[in-house]
Amino acid sequence: MTPGRSVENALLAGPLVLFLLAVLGFPTVLSLVYGFSETGFQTLTAPQFSGLKNFRDATADPTFWQAAWFSLRFGAITALLQCGLGLALAVYLAPLARAHGWTVAILIIPMIVAPAMMGLMYRLVLHEFAGPVPHYLYSWFGWSPSFLGPANVFKTVVVAETLQWTPFAFLLFLTACQSIPQDLREAAAVDGTRPWRLFWKIELPLMMPTVFVALFIRFIDGFRVFDNIYTLVGAGPGGSTTSISIYIYESFLRRGEIGKALAAAILLFATAFVLLSVAQRLLRGRAP
Amino acid sequence: MTFRTCLRAGAAALALAAGGAANAEVTVLGWPGGPEEAALRAVTELYNAKADLAEENKVELLFTSRDGFFDKLQVDLAAGSTAFDINLIATYSIGRYAPFMEPVTLSDQAGAVFGDTVLKTMQFDGQQYGVPTDLSLHFLYYRTDLIDALLADDAAKAKYSEIAMKHLGKALEPKAPADWTWEDFVANALYFTQSINPESPTRYGTVIQAKNLLFNMMVFHSWPRSYGGNWMDDTGAITVDSEAFRTALSQAKMLFDLGATPPDSTSYEYAEANAAYASGQVAAMVQWNAAAGELTAAQAATGTTAPPAGPDGRFTHIHGLGLGLNKAAENKDGAIAFLQWLSTEEAALAYAKAGGAPGLASETAAKLVADRPDLVQVGEYASTYGFVMNGGTSENALSVYEAQAKEFTGYWAGTQDLDTALKNTAAAMTDLLK
Repeated sequence: MTPGRSVENALLAGPLVLFLLAVLGFPTVLSLVYGFSETGFQTLTAPQFSGLKNFRDATADPTFWQAAWFSLRFGAITALLQCGLGLALAVYLAPLARAHGWTVAILIIPMIVAPAMMGLMYRLVLHEFAGPVPHYLYSWFGWSPSFLGPANVFKTVVVAETLQWTPFAFLLFLTACQSIPQDLREAAAVDGTRPWRLFWKIELPLMMPTVFVALFIRFIDGFRVFDNIYTLVGAGPGGSTTSISIYIYESFLRRGEIGKALAAAILLFATAFVLLSVAQRLLRGRAP
Repeated sequence: MTFRTCLRAGAAALALAAGGAANAEVTVLGWPGGPEEAALRAVTELYNAKADLAEENKVELLFTSRDGFFDKLQVDLAAGSTAFDINLIATYSIGRYAPFMEPVTLSDQAGAVFGDTVLKTMQFDGQQYGVPTDLSLHFLYYRTDLIDALLADDAAKAKYSEIAMKHLGKALEPKAPADWTWEDFVANALYFTQSINPESPTRYGTVIQAKNLLFNMMVFHSWPRSYGGNWMDDTGAITVDSEAFRTALSQAKMLFDLGATPPDSTSYEYAEANAAYASGQVAAMVQWNAAAGELTAAQAATGTTAPPAGPDGRFTHIHGLGLGLNKAAENKDGAIAFLQWLSTEEAALAYAKAGGAPGLASETAAKLVADRPDLVQVGEYASTYGFVMNGGTSENALSVYEAQAKEFTGYWAGTQDLDTALKNTAAAMTDLLK
């Protein structure tokens, strides 16, 4: 690259870099300062450096680990369910989507709804006395499960998340499925390969990088879940539906533990960063 | 529309906006939506119409969303926001906001208009931080048709006693709700639950809103308080791990375990609990006084009385919403003048007539018998049964409610036992109220 081009590049990239520094850099620096300080709402402008105390407090708090375990379970289960369902739908509906593109638009509608709205919608839909689902179950069978009761609440939030975000996985898999050269399938068919073997031995291996990316994205999204659970059931009885994001929110605003909340946020960021790095390494390792 | 017309329209809009801003120099951040907003708008209009009010002291109202209102307010106050001169406060949050607010001196009439009990809901460290605009307390709501039928039927009475004997160990007899103890409340809830009494006309005997939410703890507190429970004793020692809290928590837990409250009610808050009662499938419930209109509209045969009694008497949690002075206010004189006027009888009566729910002393409330008979009952209950837990206005009061909500709902939902719940609550409260 010539020196002239280099200066030109720096000039063109400069405004974007400055914008990112202002929008992302400032909150990051502030979070780091507060994360390592003794800070409350009354001392926002005068944080006192406290070293790793906030990190010790956060990691010594059983609720933090309860929230981390909830997020881990929720992220892993929803990612597996969404990707499993999304993959099955993509493979099964690929011919239909190829012939009638508009069907895809219908299938991705849940993804368009804001997660907080989705939580509020389920709060109404599943209410024993006002919701249509329990109403019809009572009318037809004289009984309805307690969807948001202690025994079922985890399953309910998992299903709600899965129904909303399976279309995302479906879209990724559909694109991957449609990008597989048609002549490969035709060659396999000429050789007498049965559909299941075609999927298992040819299509799935070719789609594996996408499967991996989808699993990873959905896990991260599930791990940091906040809005739909918070609007549906809040932190849950005894904190049973407290995700790590809900823990951070409640520590910060409800309990005024700003330093501890930001220490937990930094830990969340570090975890995501490590996972992302590992995933990238694995992806690179799989690349042909 | 031509380009020039558009410009003219834009200029006119700007002029209007500028003019509006110049006319409104005292900005009040109020409680959005509902009767509180309507009442505040009405009294503001009355105040702004006063002939001797200077232009720079006219009042403008500012409303945001109720969602996360107190969280946003906390951040605004901590940041020294000058976007408002007067802001909303609540009894349970005064301690948290006091460092960013200034005490106010109310009008000479305030004592006679509101009475000491209600004025105290806006005090912190012995100083008055606001004008009490709305008072919240609890009623026991019950289905008069169901209770009347029960009291008139000997076979039903026998069944009631049998159920009480089986689950409470006492052959209690049905009574009028005004005479209920909490044991009667439990017995009544069990009797009117179909899974216990298949002949019950309602699916559930009661509904307890038990979402892990601080406001639900306020509804629950009347229960342990009537057994002598409190957050702290006079020496400041935490007393939550007490027989009073154990009894109340265990009695409520019995209702969850026996299905006398909907199984989903561990996710219920105000709206869901009201919907349950309004459906006609619940016989009685303890709920905020604000729900009176909604519940009686849905179930016409609804009676109200004070919450049930315990060995220490009958109690209802009370708290007030009010308006106080932002320390960073840009027009303090104008703001103080408005707050002082708001604490006069003229303003309180206008506020009540416009739909607000001020806690008024009996003489003031008597002037509203024709327009707002419910306020007479609210005022009477507040002065007779009202209480605020020791530490209930402290800086960390909200966090105390939060800690209790987490632990107590965990016990009711079966995720932990009573000893653990109380031990964790006591530890959290010791840390928060030290």
